[in-house]
Amino acid sequence: MNKKKENLYGYIFILPWIIGFLGLTLGPLLFSLVGSFTNYNVTSRMDFVGFANYKEMFMYDDLFWTSLYNTLYFVAFSVPLTTIAAILISTLMNQDIPGMRVFRTIYYLPAILSGVGVYLLWMQLLDPSTGLINQFLAIFGIDGPNWLFDSEWAKPSLIMMKLWSAGGSMLLYLAAMQGVSKTLYEAAIMDGATRVQMFFRITLPMVTPIIFFDIVTSTIGSFQIFQEAYVMSADNAGAPENSLLFYNLYMWIKAFNVFDMGYAMAMSWILFIIVLILTIINFKFARRWVHYEGD
Amino acid sequence: MKKFLFLILTAVFILGACGGFQIGDSESSNSSEEDNASGDTEGSDAEGSNGEKVTLDFWSFWGSEQRRPVIDKIIEDFNSSQDEIEVQHTYVPWGDIWTKNLAAIAAGDPPDVIINDINTVKLRAQEGQMEPITEFVDSDVESRFYDQMTEATMYEDEMYALPFNTDTQILFYNKDLFEEAGLDPEDPPSTWAEAEEYAAQLDVEEGGSYERIGFYPLIGSGTDVWMMNALGENYISPDGDVKIDTEPVHDTFNWILEQKNKYGENTITSINSQFENAQQDPFMAGNIGMMVQNANYYVQLRDFGQDMDFGVAPLPEKEEGNGHTSWGGGFVAEIPKGAKDPEASYKFIEFLTNHDSQLYWAENNFDLVAHEEAGSSAAESDEFSEAGQEVYSLMVENMDNTLLTPQPLVAPDFASTVNPTFESIISGNTTVEAGLEKAQSDLERIVENNR
Repeated sequence: MNKKKENLYGYIFILPWIIGFLGLTLGPLLFSLVGSFTNYNVTSRMDFVGFANYKEMFMYDDLFWTSLYNTLYFVAFSVPLTTIAAILISTLMNQDIPGMRVFRTIYYLPAILSGVGVYLLWMQLLDPSTGLINQFLAIFGIDGPNWLFDSEWAKPSLIMMKLWSAGGSMLLYLAAMQGVSKTLYEAAIMDGATRVQMFFRITLPMVTPIIFFDIVTSTIGSFQIFQEAYVMSADNAGAPENSLLFYNLYMWIKAFNVFDMGYAMAMSWILFIIVLILTIINFKFARRWVHYEGD
Repeated sequence: MKKFLFLILTAVFILGACGGFQIGDSESSNSSEEDNASGDTEGSDAEGSNGEKVTLDFWSFWGSEQRRPVIDKIIEDFNSSQDEIEVQHTYVPWGDIWTKNLAAIAAGDPPDVIINDINTVKLRAQEGQMEPITEFVDSDVESRFYDQMTEATMYEDEMYALPFNTDTQILFYNKDLFEEAGLDPEDPPSTWAEAEEYAAQLDVEEGGSYERIGFYPLIGSGTDVWMMNALGENYISPDGDVKIDTEPVHDTFNWILEQKNKYGENTITSINSQFENAQQDPFMAGNIGMMVQNANYYVQLRDFGQDMDFGVAPLPEKEEGNGHTSWGGGFVAEIPKGAKDPEASYKFIEFLTNHDSQLYWAENNFDLVAHEEAGSSAAESDEFSEAGQEVYSLMVENMDNTLLTPQPLVAPDFASTVNPTFESIISGNTTVEAGLEKAQSDLERIVENNR
């Protein structure tokens, strides 16, 4: 099969996606770019207002900065913590001991449970007086915090909750670890390497492509945090003291509560640019630490 | 052979993808055509006198076991009361209904009637999301409702919706605990000072922590309600007059903080989170002597309270003569912009809010209805127990004290701007003086900007 023909088949195969992208994603995307320069309210108004939305956002709107800060805080803690947790769990799950399949299933389970049910479960767990977490802490004489009701603890609570679902990316790491050639370990053992050395010198470098993939996708995912805050904050709008007012939640309030859709569209473009820049930085740095076999 | 398989597979994929869009597209365009011309397309099998029957799509979020049968019965009554209009009920979950409505209006294919929030009617009217109904409304209909509810449906001298139901906040107190503490169970507190005094007698303190708290204003209610209670009006007027940095509001926060300091952060959080998580109700468990709650809380007491002996009263007032001001919300029936037959839609919402429908709704849901007379009839209804009648009567009477808070058009998101500051004052991160000054100026800036 010549190269040209192969390319053609390739395009034909991704045609459904291309059609979907052009029709369902690109159109709305461009529309929102145009809309961000208007006072669009969905039903009756769409007048060009220049950079007014962006100006309001950067110069006057404190809540915009609050929501951006909250989101960056969440990303900065949640991405590294969940990545480390997933690697640690998958290392444990990669051991050859009886019953491992059961453990793998147990650790993977939270990844398939998702959405509002899980959040409600965590709200019960985090209840300051009757929740299991504070009751557990009380055994050690620790007076647990008020979690979701305390503006200083609300974000850490969500980050902790997110850790619970590290099982999803664990599966990726596990697959990568199982794909690491046994001969590398055998050679290392003959050279007298310890298990810790083998982990840092062999296992970790060999799974860096997955770590990279995981960091990029979970960064993008964490920037989009919405549901958790919408369901778990007491007033569905970021309480206590706006500590759970994440970027997307504020955008949603602007769009659907006060019908300031143009402003929300402008916000979404700023978010897009932030995520784009971070992803580019990620890719730039990747060359220094990501190891691809065959390179 | 391989090639052939390739082509087949590709073809299937493409067909699948395109087909998906086409089906979706044609379906939506078909249905809108059908809606627009339902008179013609469905005329053939209709039984109407002139051979035409309009089908109306009615959206509500009343899908619960308790509410759905009640609204369905009202719709059934409407459908059989005449032969020109057939209403079909679409249940749309609470979390989706209004965003879906907005999208449907933008797409030009809205429902014909929808239940929506009363305090945001003016905003939706301003944004062009609703059909005005002034031309259909006669004075009989207009005078059915509590004045503040009718007022909330007006925008620039046009009426945009008919009020359906409302609620109000009242004081609930535990009569057994009153007796135990040597208080007269028939004499609830009527001022803030009295509430404080009673609370001290109801408190049970053991080893520095409270086993029972007599009264804390922010259990079951919010700072905004107490601010209104002190001011006698909302802290932002409809045209953007901000009254946050004022003496009554200062007094309100100081009064709340005084009691908060008495009970301590942990006691309060623990009790509030019990309500939040609905694991156990601290009022029914006898851990609270008095609290201000939405009057609908009675239904929970009736169903799960195991015959506890409780009393109800209007909110205590700041000082004698200041007024027992309370706060309420509610819902309206409205016609989204672009609905195919506003006149037919109006006939249905008129029916929804007439005396009999409203009485039926009140009796079966124990919900305060917008129809003043129907409310008064419900208060004497045999469907309710004696306690039920007492609570319902108080709900009706309390409407005299009850403010609605239509979103001021100059600051539609006023709450998200100032609430965090109020929370911060209560949690002790900001002083009353600094916080109220900040809230006042934040809100003034927004009002200024939007003007």
